[in-house]
Amino acid sequence: MKGTSRLIRLWATVSFILTFGTVFFLFIYVFCKGAGAVSWEFLTQGPKGAVLGTEGGILPAIVGSLLYTAIAVLFAGVLGFGTALYQVFYCRCRQVSGTISLIMQCMAGVPSIVMGLFGYSLLVLALGWGKCLLAGGITQGIMILPFIEVRAEKAFREVDGGLLAASWAMGVSRSYTIRRIVLPQAGGQLVSAVILGGCYAMGAAAPLIFTGAVIFSRVPTDLMQPAMALPYHLYILLTQGTSPANAYATAFIMMLLVLISNAIATLLTWRKLQ
Amino acid sequence: MHQAKDHVCRLTVMLLTLLSVGLLLFLVGFMLRQSFPAIRAVGLYELLFGTEWRPVIYQDVPQYGLFYLVLSTLYVSALAVLFALVIGVGCALFLTCAVGHRLRALLVPCIDLLAGIPSVVYGFVGLYVVVRTMERLGRAAGESILAGSIVLSVMILPYMISSCLHTMVQLRLRFEKASAALGVSHWHMAAELILPASGKGILISTALAAGRAMGETMAVMMVMGNAVIRPTLLGKGETISALIALEMGTAEVGSLHFSALYAAGLLLLVLLLAIHLGFSLLRRRLNREGVL
Repeated sequence: MKGTSRLIRLWATVSFILTFGTVFFLFIYVFCKGAGAVSWEFLTQGPKGAVLGTEGGILPAIVGSLLYTAIAVLFAGVLGFGTALYQVFYCRCRQVSGTISLIMQCMAGVPSIVMGLFGYSLLVLALGWGKCLLAGGITQGIMILPFIEVRAEKAFREVDGGLLAASWAMGVSRSYTIRRIVLPQAGGQLVSAVILGGCYAMGAAAPLIFTGAVIFSRVPTDLMQPAMALPYHLYILLTQGTSPANAYATAFIMMLLVLISNAIATLLTWRKLQ
Repeated sequence: MHQAKDHVCRLTVMLLTLLSVGLLLFLVGFMLRQSFPAIRAVGLYELLFGTEWRPVIYQDVPQYGLFYLVLSTLYVSALAVLFALVIGVGCALFLTCAVGHRLRALLVPCIDLLAGIPSVVYGFVGLYVVVRTMERLGRAAGESILAGSIVLSVMILPYMISSCLHTMVQLRLRFEKASAALGVSHWHMAAELILPASGKGILISTALAAGRAMGETMAVMMVMGNAVIRPTLLGKGETISALIALEMGTAEVGSLHFSALYAAGLLLLVLLLAIHLGFSLLRRRLNREGVL
């Protein structure tokens, strides 16, 4: 008896050390190798060089990624919050709400590359938009929709039930209650869901390969233009294999974005945990 | 006036819900429509069990067999899930039993950071660290199924840990007082009570993590070498998603190759939807019965 529990303790401790070792290694590795290659020019110039990306910077990719993410978040936020509101405050039938959450879970399981195929055939080909910012952003938006919906639903369900009951009892309308009680209470968590969803969208290259990302473009000025994206740019730099320094720097920028947005999202939900 | 506003609000919310639910139907419909020509021309059996993937006509007829691609996908995912299972369950157990409430609230967001790292960055680090290490250990080419599964296992680890942790923390709360009263140590409780009781929860987390692993594209594509051959542990391999990502750009719109790539996507979609549907239902049932 003593033996088994000691063995399990050893196993758990080793796994714990391995996991946290990996987390720290990943961040420290990319930060150490990448921080040195980042300069002001790198952030404010377009890619240059005989083989594109060996010189110059990543400004169009940064702007492109931010725009893709903004479109994705807007699309997924509107649909996701709407669905979550319906699930929590409007749906009366358990079967319907069960089916909706099942569909959301299935959507969460759709691989990102299939999202890309779908976006390509619907937005790029059937609607004739061509590869562009809007098509890429919406494809990413569909990908993060279940992610945002699940978190929004959770936030709405955690709203103080007593306040809601009081509001219903006084005959206050649903829309007013949602605006004045639910949204202020769930606000922090909603913003954190949007930030994490945006972070997820920003890192995904697979949905963008066919719907919007290109190897080189200028800083985009129009939603119907294709644009560069950070993850795709990193992929291209690696397959060319000519400029590891710039690849490290690009990875560094992406990791930095992840770290910052995660920190903000955690802080926003921290109060709730306490 | 107020009532009208309420009505508009209600209708908007319902419309948005319909739209988001309809998206999945749309998605499946489009995938079916685009892959239909290939399924009809090549045949379902040949698509699934054919071992030759030669989409461009060269000397003889093109071949569209996905068998080795499916096999590679399953191989690399299974191996990744195995690694992540061993480490993830152990880590969740540690976080449940050896760490206090406050420290846990601090450590869990660190693990969640792993889930936020873009998959291209995983591929990048995998290429420079895992693949290089294997080459230094004497392999001619480090790109392999093993490298892919190591990278993948790190990627699915946070999902594994967070869902196991959820089950285990609840179990600990249930058993804690009785165990303390009987003078049983934390680790004995972990070994004899928490671990056996969280079996079903672990099973479901594993299945969902496997689904995630099978759908992953970029990271795997960057470290696996991408060759359509019979997969072996140290040999190269190509997953279905990598195939789509690599060849879609060169396939002519409306050609058989194009449609065959959609069929590959459809196959992946069906596999993953089955996993998610099945295990979400199972989880819901266990939840209702109070087992989880």
